[in-house]
Amino acid sequence: MKLKKGLAVLVAAVLCTGIFAGCSSTSANSDVSTKEALNYACTKDIRDINPHLYSGEMSAQNMVFEGLTKNEDGEVKPALAESWEISADGLEYTFHLRKGVTFTDGAAFNAEAVKLNMDAIVGNLERHAWLDMVNEIKENVVVDEHTYKLVLKQPYYPTLVELGLTRPFRFISPNCFVNGTTEEGVSGYIGTGPWVLSEHVDNQYATFTQNENYWGEKTKIKTVNWKVMPDPQTILLALQNGEVDLLFGADGDQVDLDSYKKLEDEGAYKTYISEPIASRAILINSNSPITKDIKVREAIEYAVNKENIIQGILNGSEDQADTLLSKEVPYCNIDLKTISYNQEKAKQLLDEAGWKLGTDGVREKDGQKCEITLSYNSKNAQEGTIAASIQADLAAVGIKMNILGEEKQAFLDRQKTGDFDLQYSLSWGTPYDPQSYVSSWRIPAHGDYQAQVGLEKKQWLDETITKIMIEADDTKRAEMYKEVLTYINDQYVYIPISYSKTKAVAIDGLNGVTFNDSQYEIPFEKMYFSK
Amino acid sequence: MKHYIVKRLLWMIPILIGISFFAFILINLSPSDPAEVAIRVNEVTPTAENIAQMREQLGLDDPFMTRYLTWLSNALQGDFGNSYANNKPVGEEIAKALPPTLYLASVSLLIIVIISVAAGVLCAVKENSITDKTMRGIVFVGTAIPGFWAGILLMWLFAVKLKWLPTSGMTSPASVILPAVTLSLGYIATYVRLIRNNMIQNKRENYVLYGRVRGLKEQTIMKHVFKNSLQTSLTALGMSIPKLIAGTVVIENIFAWPGIGRLCVTAIFNRDFPMIQAYVLIMAVLFVFCNLLVDLGSVWIDPRRRET
Repeated sequence: MKLKKGLAVLVAAVLCTGIFAGCSSTSANSDVSTKEALNYACTKDIRDINPHLYSGEMSAQNMVFEGLTKNEDGEVKPALAESWEISADGLEYTFHLRKGVTFTDGAAFNAEAVKLNMDAIVGNLERHAWLDMVNEIKENVVVDEHTYKLVLKQPYYPTLVELGLTRPFRFISPNCFVNGTTEEGVSGYIGTGPWVLSEHVDNQYATFTQNENYWGEKTKIKTVNWKVMPDPQTILLALQNGEVDLLFGADGDQVDLDSYKKLEDEGAYKTYISEPIASRAILINSNSPITKDIKVREAIEYAVNKENIIQGILNGSEDQADTLLSKEVPYCNIDLKTISYNQEKAKQLLDEAGWKLGTDGVREKDGQKCEITLSYNSKNAQEGTIAASIQADLAAVGIKMNILGEEKQAFLDRQKTGDFDLQYSLSWGTPYDPQSYVSSWRIPAHGDYQAQVGLEKKQWLDETITKIMIEADDTKRAEMYKEVLTYINDQYVYIPISYSKTKAVAIDGLNGVTFNDSQYEIPFEKMYFSK
Repeated sequence: MKHYIVKRLLWMIPILIGISFFAFILINLSPSDPAEVAIRVNEVTPTAENIAQMREQLGLDDPFMTRYLTWLSNALQGDFGNSYANNKPVGEEIAKALPPTLYLASVSLLIIVIISVAAGVLCAVKENSITDKTMRGIVFVGTAIPGFWAGILLMWLFAVKLKWLPTSGMTSPASVILPAVTLSLGYIATYVRLIRNNMIQNKRENYVLYGRVRGLKEQTIMKHVFKNSLQTSLTALGMSIPKLIAGTVVIENIFAWPGIGRLCVTAIFNRDFPMIQAYVLIMAVLFVFCNLLVDLGSVWIDPRRRET
């Protein structure tokens, strides 16, 4: 037995080279078209999917719970509300609810249910501090059984977009409330969505079955098996073994770029990539000893070779970013100064800033070395590689950059306290960009705030952002966004790198794989099996 | 013997207090504010107000000793507080995750014992033969391969290529085979060498020579050699039991095995302090008790040790 096992190890060791040599296996399923269950693997358990809290997986919350509106193809579309009217002063939103909708426990979805849910959300204001919308709610009114009125304190322009976010404005059956609220947990996960959570075993799997009484188009697949596999390598092997049908995720969470490319090249799987969704950038701290000098920040921007990063590290799978937010993002189609890779310009700027090249190739000023640190979450290997590329770019112009890979919480702590020179920043993506993302710049716990705090006009910046959110006039709002984005661009606080995309890999035979506006949602309801 | 047991048990009190203290100060050694961690782990943006509220809720404003004593007395009653990540009682979470880990560790132990004894004895009997050398070569490879790498290789070979076993999860009885084999690899390597060397050493003892002189059968002599060699290995094996349980951390992640190893890794990434504290305490207590049992066992076998 020992010999047999030993031989197995040896055989495995010999064959292992095949993994990287492109020795591929094909999917195990031959009669895919008759499949009724989709096996999806995720590194995380769905956890507590109470739609009014944040500990659960957003994509699972989106399967079970719906909102009044939804964000689709860059637009706000009706969901549980069929239509709405907005008062002239922008303070009252009257929603006409879809009739005949019930929660999956049979409870009616009506204005009373909406009010109970909205009151529960407002009652837990602390939890939703990141979302201005919750702060702006003055009153929730039941007009009649199918009409609900939302009264705001101020005319908050992203109202309809934010009502469509995956959380917190989604509706759970009032029967699940505990002590009349949802903030301390719920007694079940009953929604109106296309899927019903029928089974969940902690850290193992969750089973979602079709909601047979769904008001809209029913799902084409009967069951989604959500399997928890913490190791991405295991997920890949499970896909090759036919135990998993779909990988889906943003920012290398489920499938890293190398594996994605390899699977794409194999041709046995279908690969999908979304439109640009979020912005990947490097924050330069304007409040740090060396980078507080705007000339140094500008020099760093000139010194970074983005094309190297895009082509060499991201395999050309993402679009290069010249401005922090893509021109496709609402209010962001504005003319901003862009910077192209130019080492000579970077050196010249550093000279002007007083940083003279030392004998060891590192610049010096007043006896101090030009030495900075980029910190990142060590779990993200891709970020480590990008850091190494930037390190080489900066070394070429005389800046010594140390790379500090840290455990996630340490990275976040550093972000919160502003104890960094350079750090990664990822915008929240559509439909959160620009409003929720820009709004978060005002919160001290965010790296963006800390990186901006050294700016001369930081106070003006925060005040203007606050005003944008409650500016009713679209033209004025656009003008204010332009001012804010132009200022932040000209201050060189961000090195825009690329616009990230969501990736998916599916077995041959699984069709209808698309992307929602939010990178955190997975449209399982549109998927189907066919040959 | 009774005196020895009482002495050992009394010694355990300060040791356990020390361990519990160490487990508790982990929270203070961390640079992160536990209140903020508890907020952030739920993807809520920490603000001055909600941090203050959470500090009060978690009792973090109390003096250190008060917090420690409250935690200890609660822990003694099985209450380790609630997880920051999901707000569920830590004790319940651990109780749920412990059986899969014990199951995995037991199967591994079985594999370790069967293979190590068989291979160890074979190597010793066929000392320096080709069989012995081949076995030792394999054992060397087994020691050199890191657990996570071996796991992925085995998974690739037996699940993806040969399609004999599932890659991961705890869905069928066959699911345990790959993680258990992976977990036992490193131990088998150690025990094969240990048993082999002990037996070879024993073979050179005078009693073996005496046995041969008396004309005993080689088989009978080897039985005695085996018995005498096993004692050291049993002691080491006893200490391997808690190590096996604690050692499941990496294997459980690779094989998506829902045990305490995975619970611990998730807790570390989330800085879920109540969970980490409970894990450290339980593992340390397990080590101390296994150590005691092994010592008592060996004293029972060898009365000479009672004096030391």
